[in-house]
Amino acid sequence: MTGHPANGLDDTVHQRVRLGILTIAHEARRVEFSYLRDNLELTAGNLSQHLGVLEGAGLITIEKGYAGKRARTWVTLTKAGQAALAEEITQLKLLISQIEHAGRSPG
Amino acid sequence: MATETASPGDDPQRLLSSTRELTQRVRRDQRATWFPLLVFAVLTFASIPVRRYSGHHLDCAAVPRVCTVYSDAEFVYWPVALVLAYVAIAGFYIRRSRARGVGTRVRPYTIAGIIIAVVLTGVALWEVRNPPVHPVGLSGLAYQLARPAGAIGLALLVLAWAERNRALLLLTLAYLAAVLVPITFGPLQPGAPWYLYPAVVQGSVLLLGGIGFALAQRPLRSPAP
Repeated sequence: MTGHPANGLDDTVHQRVRLGILTIAHEARRVEFSYLRDNLELTAGNLSQHLGVLEGAGLITIEKGYAGKRARTWVTLTKAGQAALAEEITQLKLLISQIEHAGRSPG
Repeated sequence: MATETASPGDDPQRLLSSTRELTQRVRRDQRATWFPLLVFAVLTFASIPVRRYSGHHLDCAAVPRVCTVYSDAEFVYWPVALVLAYVAIAGFYIRRSRARGVGTRVRPYTIAGIIIAVVLTGVALWEVRNPPVHPVGLSGLAYQLARPAGAIGLALLVLAWAERNRALLLLTLAYLAAVLVPITFGPLQPGAPWYLYPAVVQGSVLLLGGIGFALAQRPLRSPAP
């Protein structure tokens, strides 16, 4: 194990769609399936797969219910999900700063 | 250890900028700044006839010679109106949040608003028995903030924080300036034409702000089904 920030990246979170889900859930506190699907431009099946991965890792909770006669699925970020998102953002910033630093170094 | 093959979309720079863009999009969808501003503008304008046509009494300090004009009905009007306004605003945000499918941070705003309304009621009741001796200077600042218009400004500051809305923060600071530096042209007497000017100015700032936010946020509302 080296101190390189790439080693600190979590495979579950370090993925465009899953990071997007966590980001939206973090800002919204509670977000509906259709909002995620529309904003991340995914099919329902694709989104369900990603949600399953995040739920399996304990990063989100999924709640199903009804609003009137309409079935709804709500996604909420867990504390572990908040920590994982914060860690991913930190590692991404570190990685970018190291890449920029390496780019500026001579030779 | 990471074993997945990296895709171009997983590039750190792109991931970070995509995260920022999504954050901004969610915040835009959560905002409904125009509604509380218009509600408070309506309350402020509605307070004008309440103030104008209700009974008044004067409390004067001997030295310096400073008098405060009290509108009796306002003691009842503002606490009731503010609580009803926060109930309406909370209801509006929750309904909108359900319709859009994205949560909202209305809870801290509602709690702050209700606390401010309760404190305002306490101050109003205390004033009835203990009129302020010297409502100017440093103590005058706290005095002005405890007035209904100041309470609206404080609640709007909380809303600016909850919505992470810099434009609302700037508008609120302008509004608070209008509240803390009231426009007067002489001694305030209930019959004087400028007696109602502060409420007109404050209501106008809220109304124009509400219209501005409504226009700015209109194109970003979700399309009709």
